[in-house]
Amino acid sequence: MKLPSTITILFLTAGLAQAAPDRAVAIRTTVNGMVCSFCAQGILAYFKKHPAVSNVHVDLTRKSVLLEERKGHSISDKEIIEYIKKAGFDPVKVERLKTSFQETKTGS
Amino acid sequence: MMGSTGSVQNFELYQSYSARTAWGFHAMRFEDDQDEIFAAIQHNWLLKRWNLPSAQANIYTGIGAGAAWQEEGDTGPAGIGFFRADYETRRVYAACDAKLAASPEVSRSIFSAEAGIAPYKAEFDQINTWFIFQAGHVTAMDDTFELIPKVRFFKGPYFLELGSTLRGRPVASFMIHF
Repeated sequence: MKLPSTITILFLTAGLAQAAPDRAVAIRTTVNGMVCSFCAQGILAYFKKHPAVSNVHVDLTRKSVLLEERKGHSISDKEIIEYIKKAGFDPVKVERLKTSFQETKTGS
Repeated sequence: MMGSTGSVQNFELYQSYSARTAWGFHAMRFEDDQDEIFAAIQHNWLLKRWNLPSAQANIYTGIGAGAAWQEEGDTGPAGIGFFRADYETRRVYAACDAKLAASPEVSRSIFSAEAGIAPYKAEFDQINTWFIFQAGHVTAMDDTFELIPKVRFFKGPYFLELGSTLRGRPVASFMIHF
């Protein structure tokens, strides 16, 4: 009687394990001082060239930089903070979100 | 960056090597009874930046060394220096700056103050529009004081400013981030 439930659980677990890598992680960094798109060009240019980043969005209204990690790569919070400081702005917090890059960009 | 305020033309080309420092070439031409051109290799510093949640303020300075040419043909060593402070939100902008160009023969100072408003809060990928009013004073010129209404646009790495002095002289400025 126990066998069918065990098999079901194993299939479910395998399904979840497969789904996780397909979902690219969105990282949102809140930044102080980012009021001008001309001045924030450096942030966009840097993250666009970063090998671990597949998508970048600068949101002046939400005062945030949204990054999408490329599959199989990662960028650390420390690196994000250091670069935003180097570009002349003050990062406030870095959040790793459960929503996708597109969902966060358009919805939140 | 290239700019002209009627009687003064300005050309600047800089390479930033950190968020707080840049070096490059700066040339200024003063059109008066006797034209003068100053050209220098210049170094600029961001002395202080305040990054606030909805605003940014900066203080910059720069100095350069080069040469000056006068219309009569005199050439000599020259220096250029400037000091600038600005404050900006997404809707309000204010700036003031002082520039000095000096040689043993002649020196010129430019003082200017700008105030501007944005009619809408542009997003990062939209065209930003600003209406700006500039008051400027150039020492030792025929027309020493100018009032300049202008409109500023920028999108991506491109920046364009167009206007006219109240005497009808066109004013233009163009910048690009490489």
